[in-house]
Amino acid sequence: MAEIKIFGYANKISVKQGDSIDLHVSADGTATADAQLVRLIHGDEHPDGPGFVAREIDHPVNGVWSVKKQFTQLGSYLIVDDSERRLNIGGSFSLFCYVWPTLPNKGRRQCVMGRWDTRTNEGYGLGINPQGRLEFWVGDGKEVDYVMAELPLIKKVWYFVGVSFDHETGTATLYQDGLLNRYNSLIGKVAPYEFSSHVQTKFRFKQKNREDVPFVVAGARDFHELRGRFINDTYSGKIDRFGVCNRVLSREEMDSIRGGRRPAEDSIVAFWDTTAGYTENGIGTSVLDTGPNALTARGVNHPVRCLTGWNWSGKNDCFRLSPSEYGGIEFHQEAVTDCGWEVTKTMRIPGDLRSGAYAIRLRAGDGVGLSEEYIVFFVRPAKPESKLCFLVPTASYLAYANEKLSFDAQIIQPMTGQPPIISDIDIETYKHRDFGLSTYDSYEDGAGVSFSSYKRPIVNMRPKYRISSMNIPWQFPADLSIIGWLEQCGHQYDVITDEDLHREGLAALAPYKCVITGTHPEYVSESMLDAQEDFVALGGRLIYMGGNGYYWCVGFYEDEPWCMEVRKLDSGMRAWAARAGEHYLQTTGEKSGLWRNRGRAPQKLTGVGFIAEGFETSAPFRRMPDSYHRTVSWITEGIEGEIIGDEGLAYGGAAGVELDRYDLSLGTPPHTRIIASSGGHSDNYVLVTEELLYAYAGLVGTLDYRIRADMTYFTAPNNGAVFSTGSIAFGHALPVNNYQNNTSRLLKNVVDNFVKDGELPGGSWTLEEKQWR
Amino acid sequence: MVRQDHAMESDDRDVVYRRLFDKKQREYLRTVICDEIIEEHRKSPLGQHTEPLERLLMYFRHAPQRDKYVVKRDGKSGKFRIAQLSGNRDAPLSGVNDREYAAAEETYHEIFLLRVRELMELDA
Repeated sequence: MAEIKIFGYANKISVKQGDSIDLHVSADGTATADAQLVRLIHGDEHPDGPGFVAREIDHPVNGVWSVKKQFTQLGSYLIVDDSERRLNIGGSFSLFCYVWPTLPNKGRRQCVMGRWDTRTNEGYGLGINPQGRLEFWVGDGKEVDYVMAELPLIKKVWYFVGVSFDHETGTATLYQDGLLNRYNSLIGKVAPYEFSSHVQTKFRFKQKNREDVPFVVAGARDFHELRGRFINDTYSGKIDRFGVCNRVLSREEMDSIRGGRRPAEDSIVAFWDTTAGYTENGIGTSVLDTGPNALTARGVNHPVRCLTGWNWSGKNDCFRLSPSEYGGIEFHQEAVTDCGWEVTKTMRIPGDLRSGAYAIRLRAGDGVGLSEEYIVFFVRPAKPESKLCFLVPTASYLAYANEKLSFDAQIIQPMTGQPPIISDIDIETYKHRDFGLSTYDSYEDGAGVSFSSYKRPIVNMRPKYRISSMNIPWQFPADLSIIGWLEQCGHQYDVITDEDLHREGLAALAPYKCVITGTHPEYVSESMLDAQEDFVALGGRLIYMGGNGYYWCVGFYEDEPWCMEVRKLDSGMRAWAARAGEHYLQTTGEKSGLWRNRGRAPQKLTGVGFIAEGFETSAPFRRMPDSYHRTVSWITEGIEGEIIGDEGLAYGGAAGVELDRYDLSLGTPPHTRIIASSGGHSDNYVLVTEELLYAYAGLVGTLDYRIRADMTYFTAPNNGAVFSTGSIAFGHALPVNNYQNNTSRLLKNVVDNFVKDGELPGGSWTLEEKQWR
Repeated sequence: MVRQDHAMESDDRDVVYRRLFDKKQREYLRTVICDEIIEEHRKSPLGQHTEPLERLLMYFRHAPQRDKYVVKRDGKSGKFRIAQLSGNRDAPLSGVNDREYAAAEETYHEIFLLRVRELMELDA
């Protein structure tokens, strides 16, 4: 009997009371699964905490569901909207484009462009053959004729490639020329390669075009008995402007196009200009056809845009400065941003379902390991009534979604200082890759993953999951320790997500007096950051519960809130580096990378910012002199002694994993008080790279005084305030001894006072004290 | 000793130098292995260590991914076993032995001992 495996995702990560949500499920080895709606309370199974806690909720959706195997389309590509079959060319024609292949030696066919059916061998295509050479082919359903270049393509070099096919004579003329300049390719002109190849041959057979085959760029249509039609022979690399002409183009005409000129207008069937459509806010996923038929090419699985093209001169670093040099659009064989599964069930969220973290729990067979799934989503109130709000950092959940560092990242064991603990689910997702990668992973060709979506199962956005490389809960399962704390803190609370905040801005936060963040809200869009800054400036109280927050600048297309874009660049603790000239988001036009590098270091909002990371051990905080000042002593009320947080579910302390530090030079409000600081971190804690001008010996925990977490507090206008923990491990410390510990007590002091209207404790200061220094 | 045929082992000549560098590292690290270091690691596999042990651990952790030791947690039983990264995506882990451990932490020192044994036997 086949092993039972069950996976799913929801079409929304945030849903309001009274609204509906679609659930998509795929299963192996079973036709049914038991479904149960659960409210998630705590997710860390560490023996020193309360363990996994969830409450079953009555709902009509509970019961036995019919499930089936569903398939995922891997690979990014373009598919052309050609309802009038303009590209169903029966006579002579020419194809051309610029290519920058990244895996020409992959050893399998990669279709660059064409109207080709790989199952029936019908149509025409231009691509890279298994020998790594440019090839053009036609098929009539019985026979296929090929012509290939004399030379293999060199990876990451720009070429102009094309073919002319004379239907009358059967003459196929292949065109390949290198376009390497001083900037646009991996290698320079001193590398003595041959790039050009011009081959002519006579085909015995002609193309026969099936009506139903689409014109595809970076792939070709295929068919499988179980999954039906799909796109196969996907391509890895960049493509720049490409087109189809309705006759044989001469060598001179091809030379002209190679030089950047349009083909003769009367010959154009389609000319997709990848540089058309740029605005100052980026560009969409569809590529415009500027020819007479306007055959738009629609992007699937988010091909990457705003990339340097064949003619990039190296002078301009952004598409806005020279859009004509930014025709590059990149495809990856492993990209997936929407599994596209059929809806298994739609459920309505009851109007009285309390706001919180929920999941549909699915079990089949013994319901253990791969045969148990939690499809997580967050319910927000139709009408906010609480004073306290937990802001769920869903953008950061997307960033880490299905990360595979333990398998692929050589740096991970030096970084974490321990062997990874790998579970069955890690192996399953690594083997099959159908659920896609995280922004901590790279594609096979080395390019970093810049898009991440929740329209796919996210195996690490589940309760109980422990990130393999660090053996602790990370992101969502770690944030359940905050939810667990909120459940017992005595205050009514709502949850909203980054997605809500990004779309609605300040309006999403305005109903609340106090907003509490997750343990690691690392990825934020401009509107998310603006909203939180305005919330505090207008009198809101923010509790930043984490470390390394407000770090990366991310973007979303307005109509695709499920898919986040980030580019990693310049400095910062980063899993990959965007290539030169490719630092701007296609979703918004903004420069990505660290907010700090755009003048908005996290210190300006929270008082602290990323300073070090380390794993394997955590440390406690020790009270600092400021904490005894009568204006802030209420924060540590009821806490005996100087030590705070000497226990925790993340390596035994409240200060650990990723640490933030007070820094006036980066915008910490000058009146900020340091309530407590950690110290004594091991040498596994290393200084973050954005702090480095020169690298030198000794930038580690036992030798650099900066490597510490600062717990800070400052007041803001209109009775606003910000309290920051400066440590990811702080949230992990809350559940110890069933929330009876001094980390929990300290947070209670802050929350109890932050949810009150009017002045904060310590508000009755003398004028002199208000000046703080 | 550097041999000319070493240069032919990879398209990436950087690999050749790394191999030589690692060999030199091992020559030194073999001199620091003693009962005291083994005992120090047994008592405290994670956290701050003396400099010789820290260097030894750095060498182990910096090794290429292939054949690196990891811990495999069985989803059904919750028990742990030592495994190695195979470099094969279809079967990414290869087993080392059948011994099971109740806690992941118990494997850390066992992995350390395996790595020490390999270090002592390499270059022989």
